[in-house]
Amino acid sequence: MIELAHLTKQFGGVTALDDVSLRIDAGERLALVGENGAGKSSLMNVLYGLYQPDSGTISFDGVPTRLRTPAAALARGVGMVHQHFTLVPTLSVAENVVLGHEPRRGLGLDLSRARTEVAATCASLGFELDPRALVSSLTVGSQQKVEIVKALHRGVKTLVLDEPTAVLTPQEATELFAVTRTLSERGLTVILISHKLKEVLTFATRIAVMRRGRKVTEVSPQGTTPEALAEAMIGRAAPVGSHAPATPGPVVLSLHQVCSQGLVDVSLELRAGEILGIAGVDGNGQRELTEVVTGLRPFTSGVLTVAGQRVDRLDPARARALGVAHVPEDRLRRALVADLTVEENVSLGRHTQPPFAKGPRIDFAGRRARTLELVNANDVRPPTPTLRGGALSGGNQQKLVVARELDAKPKLLVVNQPTRGLDIAAVEAVRERLRAQRLEGCGVLLVSLDLDEVLALADRLVVFARGRAVATFERATFDERLIGQHMLGVAHA
Amino acid sequence: MRERLRAMVPSVVPIVLSLVGCFLAVVVLRGWSVAFDAFGAMFAGAFGDWPKFVDQGNAGLVLRPLGEAGNKAAILTLTGLSVAVAFRVGLFNIGAQGQLTVGALAAAVVGAKVDLPAVVHLPLCLLAAAVAGAGWAALPAVLKTTRGVHEVISTIMMNWIAVSLVENWLVVGPLKASASGVNSISGTDQIAASAELPRLFEGGSRLNAGLVLAVLAALVVWAFFGRLTRGFGWRVVGLNPEAARAAGVEVGQVVVQAMLVAGALAGVAGAVLVLGTEQKYPTTLGAPYGFDGIAMALLGQGDALGVLVTSLVFGALRAGGTRLQLFGVHKSFPELIQGFALLLVAARLVWERLARRLLPDREPKHG
Amino acid sequence: MGELLRSLVSSVLDAAPPLIFAALGATLSERSGVVNVGVEGMMRAGAFVAAVAALAMPTPLAVVVGMAAGALVASVHAVLTIRLRCDQVVSGMAINLVMLALGTFLLEALFSSPSSTPPITQLPGWAGHPVTTWLAFALPVLVHLALTRTAWGLRVRAAGEKPQAVAVMGVRVGWLRAGAVLASGALAGLGGAVLSTATLDRFEHHMPTGLGFMAVAAMVFGRWTPLGATAAAVFFAFGDALRISLGSSAPGLMPQGVLLALPYLLTLVVLAVSGQRSAAPAALGVAWDPEVR
Repeated sequence: MIELAHLTKQFGGVTALDDVSLRIDAGERLALVGENGAGKSSLMNVLYGLYQPDSGTISFDGVPTRLRTPAAALARGVGMVHQHFTLVPTLSVAENVVLGHEPRRGLGLDLSRARTEVAATCASLGFELDPRALVSSLTVGSQQKVEIVKALHRGVKTLVLDEPTAVLTPQEATELFAVTRTLSERGLTVILISHKLKEVLTFATRIAVMRRGRKVTEVSPQGTTPEALAEAMIGRAAPVGSHAPATPGPVVLSLHQVCSQGLVDVSLELRAGEILGIAGVDGNGQRELTEVVTGLRPFTSGVLTVAGQRVDRLDPARARALGVAHVPEDRLRRALVADLTVEENVSLGRHTQPPFAKGPRIDFAGRRARTLELVNANDVRPPTPTLRGGALSGGNQQKLVVARELDAKPKLLVVNQPTRGLDIAAVEAVRERLRAQRLEGCGVLLVSLDLDEVLALADRLVVFARGRAVATFERATFDERLIGQHMLGVAHA
Repeated sequence: MRERLRAMVPSVVPIVLSLVGCFLAVVVLRGWSVAFDAFGAMFAGAFGDWPKFVDQGNAGLVLRPLGEAGNKAAILTLTGLSVAVAFRVGLFNIGAQGQLTVGALAAAVVGAKVDLPAVVHLPLCLLAAAVAGAGWAALPAVLKTTRGVHEVISTIMMNWIAVSLVENWLVVGPLKASASGVNSISGTDQIAASAELPRLFEGGSRLNAGLVLAVLAALVVWAFFGRLTRGFGWRVVGLNPEAARAAGVEVGQVVVQAMLVAGALAGVAGAVLVLGTEQKYPTTLGAPYGFDGIAMALLGQGDALGVLVTSLVFGALRAGGTRLQLFGVHKSFPELIQGFALLLVAARLVWERLARRLLPDREPKHG
Repeated sequence: MGELLRSLVSSVLDAAPPLIFAALGATLSERSGVVNVGVEGMMRAGAFVAAVAALAMPTPLAVVVGMAAGALVASVHAVLTIRLRCDQVVSGMAINLVMLALGTFLLEALFSSPSSTPPITQLPGWAGHPVTTWLAFALPVLVHLALTRTAWGLRVRAAGEKPQAVAVMGVRVGWLRAGAVLASGALAGLGGAVLSTATLDRFEHHMPTGLGFMAVAAMVFGRWTPLGATAAAVFFAFGDALRISLGSSAPGLMPQGVLLALPYLLTLVVLAVSGQRSAAPAALGVAWDPEVR
């Protein structure tokens, strides 16, 4: 039995954990639910020895223990599979698994023993993994298996899974839960971090709910409903977005047999006033699609028509001029510059046009005025134009990016993972903006790895697999199972 | 204002700490009185002997040292700006040395071999130096954008190539000064009077127009980055090239243009050296001007006015450094001060934290 | 012709070792994820301290002291880049500048000479070359084996590619990288010490004359592998030897300055043809913050 008592942790003045106490019984399947930023991952990273708590204690079978590093946690049988994989792509499966407790022969590393041992662990889990294979050559689903092997190879008794299904197809997720359930029946304690309430309710034997760094309640899956859980997570009734029927207008984006690095013969069409969702397992051409459409990636053949204009070559400036706006998946990589101020970030992309410029000069007054308008209208907090962009919270950064892109009055809006890492209120705010944009006659191309998000927002849906558009569904015919099969490339057309 | 002050802490504190540390080092090595006298002499050599000037009323006591300081500061500013401009777009220009070398040679050749009235001749020399420096920087820039060759490696190579070709071949071979009479002359031919940078004061001070050029360059660079939309685009390239590309900025072009500007600035620094003080390309330039440029750019935190101010300070200390030899301290002592200051500046996070503590936000922190 | 070849090989055997040691050092540091352009300064420290120590102790021991000096300078780099998370290139350049000035200052302060330290007994030789030359044959293989065949090497490589992977398996990334940086400094110090105790018999004010930068170039050229870096270092040394022997045997063929520039030009050409980005460790230059969210 593990007991977490009164744990508190701050990051640079922001409280991530606020006096959290939690008991974990041997052999149970405990689910930790809460919004993004509720403190679930922080709590588990403290248990895993990655973060040091500011105060509070962790006890194993009643013995208070200081976990200074993950090594200490591993020694006490705690393993963790992180949401963002911690695998070295250039190393083999076996090397990744034994990293940190390598079998040795004399001074050297005993790689052949490592391979045999890892193969044995894989076999005991029923995983088909080649210990010699480079991790970079594996699919996302297989990489996750390597993560699980890594933990179990250390003989852990408690396994933490942090959002394990975030990047999996429904089929892969089902398989993951089947394996985990078997392990649990063999005596493994499992802690599942998730915000997907359906999977939590079917899998867990106990559910702990966190909100704003505190544990607010514990319930059993039999005694609750998804609605009640959601309410506990956000502290009030969950907002539900409604989906008005689409009124499609003229075509704003069309691809005819477009090829590029990562895309094969992609043909699709998007009309004004509709949201076209792109579903697929990570790395199957979705990012390449958004990059081609926004001019960030050249296409090698095919016909691309943007806002009624056929383009032979597209660069980001041209795309913007044609009325394309872009909310990329990783805002700090492409959309927002952490070291620029909020107002400078607002001008980014249109910094050579009024009201941000007067001839070759920066129009400081115009920039300030427009920034104040935007941050106030979009509830960006704090509404300080001179603040560093990096000092805003993730949700406010995203609100700023969306506000900026929509301020350009786009004909085509390309969004990739628009709500990743946001709390529920911010998620709903962003989704509401997308729906509003669609009603105003903008065409929205929505890419998300979260199938639920695509299902919730899209009027039509195209499934991508291995760089191809393999299937199209109308909203009326959305079928999660069938979509999942297409994502894996196992469906028969 | 508070922001400005806070931004200065990471530069000012290391320089002061380094000065104090090096002073204490001299105390340990040579004792209190020597240390006081030596530093006194250095500062008098750097900023002028004001007490004596007040006593005797001899303007030379102040003007001469300040002139030397200004001449040194001009070179430091221009090389510092060269590195800083590249730095601002995310490039590390270690090649200022090579660019300065070819710029100096170009100025020396045009200055000596062309016969024109001063109004045209001097600008032509400067232009030749700028073009030569830019040309020398062009290759690393192109290799970076087309082949992904890291500019740190390529500019180091270009430095060696420049120094080898210029000092081991051209200056001792084809461009060697023609011997006049019995005196054998080292280096290239003397430049014509029409190519010389004019002195700013008659008599006492040797201060030349190079400093005016340097200050102008600093102001232009400062205005470009702070006031123009194009400069804003360049800054974004330096902070986040991916975001710049997504915002429609042609990153490759900016990289090449910035390197050309950086090379031109270093080239002009070479010209100021030749046209202002050396009057020819000597056998060897000798000093690590490129390294000094890196130091100035980093100490000034890549800001044009910051570079100007630190260059004025260290130009003065350099000028004063020659007087240290009387006290048994090597004249390169200011370089040591500069080096330690740079090492301290590298610990940026520490000073930023200190700045926040010394000058806290007035509004409560937002979580 | 045979005579020319023999003299070429001989001068490569003398010129390559400092470069090989320093390039191996740079490789170790960068494979762990820490950029090290401070090799030049670490070599200078090794060269100066070894030459000074050799005045008071047997030269082989002085070389070890020189290595320690290189490691000491590297420890500054380690503290700045790992503990304080400074920009790694900036820290390295700062170290170079400090060592450049400090060397000159100490030379003047301790020996009242602007040019060199007093002469010392050179390192003993074997088969006509200093022992360090033969060490330069063995060490690349040892470093290669250490990186590819030991648990430590696996961890170092992993830290350079994806430090999170190392951290979550219970290994401290900071200490791992610090170890690699210190080893890097010791190797650079060794390279410097060879200059002042084997190549020459004293420390001269200009040492190591840019060899540290050449070592970094050799590492890039050798695609961040110990054997590749060594091959590149030998290539550079060969270019230099060729210049010297051509300069003396066929003086009119090409001006000395052009010959001097050739190896650098060749390096540029090869870098341009091969490109380089792909070979660098993925997490190179990225500071590791264990509590990053």
